[in-house]
Amino acid sequence: MKAAAPLLPLLIIVGGAILVFLLEAFWKRTDKTPLAMLALATVLGSAAAAVRLWGTGASAFGGMLRLDDAALVFTMIFFVAVVFTILIALRFLPRHDANFGEFYGLLLLALAGLMIMVSSPNLVVILLGLETLSVASYALTGLKRDDDQALEAAIKYFLMGSFASGFLIFGLALLFGLAHTLEIPALTAAFAAPQGAPLLGLAGLVLVLIGFAFKIALVPFHMWSPDVYQGAPTPIAAFFVVGPKAAGFAVLFKLVAPYAPQALRSQKILTVLGILVALSMLVGSLTALRQRNVKRMLAYSSIANAGYMLLAVLSGDGAGLMFFLAAYLFMSFGAFGSLIAMGGGGREYHELEDFAGIGFRYPWIGALFSIFLIALAGFPPLAGFLAKYYLFSEAVRKGLMPLVLIGLLASLISVYYYLRIIVFMYMREPEREVELDVDNPALYLVLFLCLYGVLQLGLFPGNILFVFKRALGSLIL
Amino acid sequence: MSIPILSLITFVPLMGAVLLIFLPKERKTLLYGVALTLALFVFVASLLVYLRFDAAEAGPQFVEKSAWLGFGIQFHLGIDGISLFLVILTTLLVPIVLLSSWSYIRVRIKEYLIFMLLLETGILGVFLSLNLFLFYVFWEAALIPMYFLIGIWGGKRRVYATLKFVLFTMFGSLLMLAAIFTLSSLFFKATGAYSLNLFEQARMVLNPRLQTWLFLAFGLAFAIKVPMFPFHTWLPDAHVEAPTGGSVLLAAVLLKMGSYGFIRFAIPLFPDAVETFLPVLSALCLIGIIYGGLMALIQKDIKSLVAYSSVSHMGLVMLAVFSLNVEGTLGAIYQMLNHGLSTGALFLAVGILYERAHTRAIKDFGGVSKQMPVFSAFFLIAVLSSAGLPGLNGFIGEISCLYGIFAANKVYAALAVTTVILGAAYLLWMFQRVMQGPVTNEKILSFRDMNRREILYFAPIVVLMFWMGISPGTFLGKMDASVTAYVQRIKGRERVFVQKAGPPPAARRIDVREELSR
Repeated sequence: MKAAAPLLPLLIIVGGAILVFLLEAFWKRTDKTPLAMLALATVLGSAAAAVRLWGTGASAFGGMLRLDDAALVFTMIFFVAVVFTILIALRFLPRHDANFGEFYGLLLLALAGLMIMVSSPNLVVILLGLETLSVASYALTGLKRDDDQALEAAIKYFLMGSFASGFLIFGLALLFGLAHTLEIPALTAAFAAPQGAPLLGLAGLVLVLIGFAFKIALVPFHMWSPDVYQGAPTPIAAFFVVGPKAAGFAVLFKLVAPYAPQALRSQKILTVLGILVALSMLVGSLTALRQRNVKRMLAYSSIANAGYMLLAVLSGDGAGLMFFLAAYLFMSFGAFGSLIAMGGGGREYHELEDFAGIGFRYPWIGALFSIFLIALAGFPPLAGFLAKYYLFSEAVRKGLMPLVLIGLLASLISVYYYLRIIVFMYMREPEREVELDVDNPALYLVLFLCLYGVLQLGLFPGNILFVFKRALGSLIL
Repeated sequence: MSIPILSLITFVPLMGAVLLIFLPKERKTLLYGVALTLALFVFVASLLVYLRFDAAEAGPQFVEKSAWLGFGIQFHLGIDGISLFLVILTTLLVPIVLLSSWSYIRVRIKEYLIFMLLLETGILGVFLSLNLFLFYVFWEAALIPMYFLIGIWGGKRRVYATLKFVLFTMFGSLLMLAAIFTLSSLFFKATGAYSLNLFEQARMVLNPRLQTWLFLAFGLAFAIKVPMFPFHTWLPDAHVEAPTGGSVLLAAVLLKMGSYGFIRFAIPLFPDAVETFLPVLSALCLIGIIYGGLMALIQKDIKSLVAYSSVSHMGLVMLAVFSLNVEGTLGAIYQMLNHGLSTGALFLAVGILYERAHTRAIKDFGGVSKQMPVFSAFFLIAVLSSAGLPGLNGFIGEISCLYGIFAANKVYAALAVTTVILGAAYLLWMFQRVMQGPVTNEKILSFRDMNRREILYFAPIVVLMFWMGISPGTFLGKMDASVTAYVQRIKGRERVFVQKAGPPPAARRIDVREELSR
């Protein structure tokens, strides 16, 4: 039993997923709430098992799976994200023609993939986790079988994802040729060798980075993401914006952070990544500016936010990255949760015009959504501001001033499009009839938890940043 | 001091806003009662601070300091002679504004009161913060309530005006944020410790070229807020569209955040850069003074006339700030208070007229004083105070501003005097067209004079105008020590690098090129 302890969190999740699938297949019931509860219990059980591993640095399979504290921090972020997703999906699925129990099983499988990704130092295992995640994600995107938009999104996601995996695997092959191993620390050592890395090795690293850039939707590898986020069921879109991105950045951080302490210009790869940061922030914000559909706008804004996170990776600021992710988790789920409230009677109302007058007709939804938008725009004293503050100030300390200036410019642009939603909610007269889903306790629970998170992280984060720093200390790079 | 009175002053309005959320929105009297009681409580608390304020002490008093977020970010409040009266001005004006809104704001009263109280917290926080981060937090936080106030209760082009206001201000503040990052990083590299404490930061000696960039970032944020020419274009839009209460606070207090920012942060932190830029800055102020005055002359709308007069008056204030001597700075602060009172009163008067006529165009009025004799008297006093008539507050402020400017540069002073001439011209001409002459518009015959509520909120301002005009010593006495110390610090320039332990080493300069390439 002792030996199984490090595996326990993962085993519980996978076991729960299989149980959900079996129950769905053999226990015909239209009400899927028990399955959702089972999934919730699974996540909570797994969380309990994971917490016990804190500080032990447990590992399994000869170090192929290492649950150090950093991995546990990311795992906790995923747990919260999945719990939120289940809660906001509870009423959403039956009302939007997607009442499938498989949803919860697939979600758990995706969670398992995420957990594997962040808790392995070996790129092959990471790839396995990524593929587990991806397959589950493709299915989740296309959950609404009769919806053309959802199907288009699923196919796009599948094609693009497979393409990216191709890049990734080819890159891994080249890297293996360089170091005869795919352990990240060994790879780092090979690149740090005095004679320098051979060209093919560098090419391998670039291909791997491109693969991940696809998966986390960095400009110019982002083309698929707005369609997918818009086409996917809203709870899933909320999950995609947070979960897979967090895992992708965790891996990128392990790959890139060892190079970050050195100056930017001595490492060509970091320059390339710097360009990705600038492009993601600017293109994400500028395209969001043009959107009339709020869900799509949030999708583009997630690209800009990915740019900020990559900036944290570049400046080697793991604690800032984790803090940003934690803050983004609450802000993003808050915003997407508000979008879910904007749908009743089997339809969703996500055009800007649909929001006209919402602020006064539905004061709670209006106020909460406004707070999340203001947090996303980076106004103090909410979490979004502090997250950006930590991230940017560390980047300035590392001499990345030009990127910080671009980031601030992108924030300014983002202020406009976030506030424009508030303009519609509070400063325009309603033109259309919209139906809201206001009687949804689980959704309100999520919204208020997010509100709490946004305020707590913005005002009194306490020592959380130092906890993150400590956790990073356990990371072997 | 056992009671953290500055925190109390800052956060009671915030608590009031939270309390209001849970009150029923139909109970207008209850909502106003709660908001007004809390605002008055804050005002009384700030008067207590005034009474117990030690005029001989130059540094900050009633200091509250505690660790907050790490990285040198502390919760650090304090009040000194420079900020004392700005705080009291704010706490005085908020209850007045609330009273004035009773009949003006007809819809969404609860939300209006909530945003007013939130705004008060933001503004007070700006004036009381001594930590760069905390200052920035309040600076930005004050933006959001104003955004809603203009956007929801404003006029026809309110959405355009409010977004312009937010984006202009944000543009400046984000650059300031970048400068704050840089300062924090430099301080860390120099001392190995984190600090965003204003006084520790001000002891750091920076390379003049680096100072230039940082000053430009800070200065732009403040210059947009003041607003200095050519960054003023948001102001007339915001003022014309804002509801009366919003206009009053915007003109009377929010603009002062900019000039206060120069005195408190930009100038002490980057004195060398200020000296380099003095000619440019002074030229901008002078252009603002003359341009604002001329624009005010040709306005057809009373509110935009007052808005442009703000551009002109604030130009004089900023020119006095840039004189960098005791007289000029004292005059500037005094004039900031005067401008707060007189422009606030003018906007209130315009609001009173608007409630009756539902128009603000000057041509629609004429001969109003016959119908509204009491109002006419109040309005005239406000106009004369703004124009700088001896015996009223504006005169003292303008004279000491000009005195300071004259001591610094005689040509500037000669040009700056135009603010007085132009001010008298556009204000009195406006008064004549609106209040005197024959009644041209029949609607005016139905105007009622000011009611008791309107007199109640207008009277304190008028009393203060006389008080500040007749006995300025009451006010200047409390400012003197802080301002003298401030000027000495800038002129003295004997700053050494802070070091955690050991004797202070000789001033070390940080090379900008070395910094950027690191």
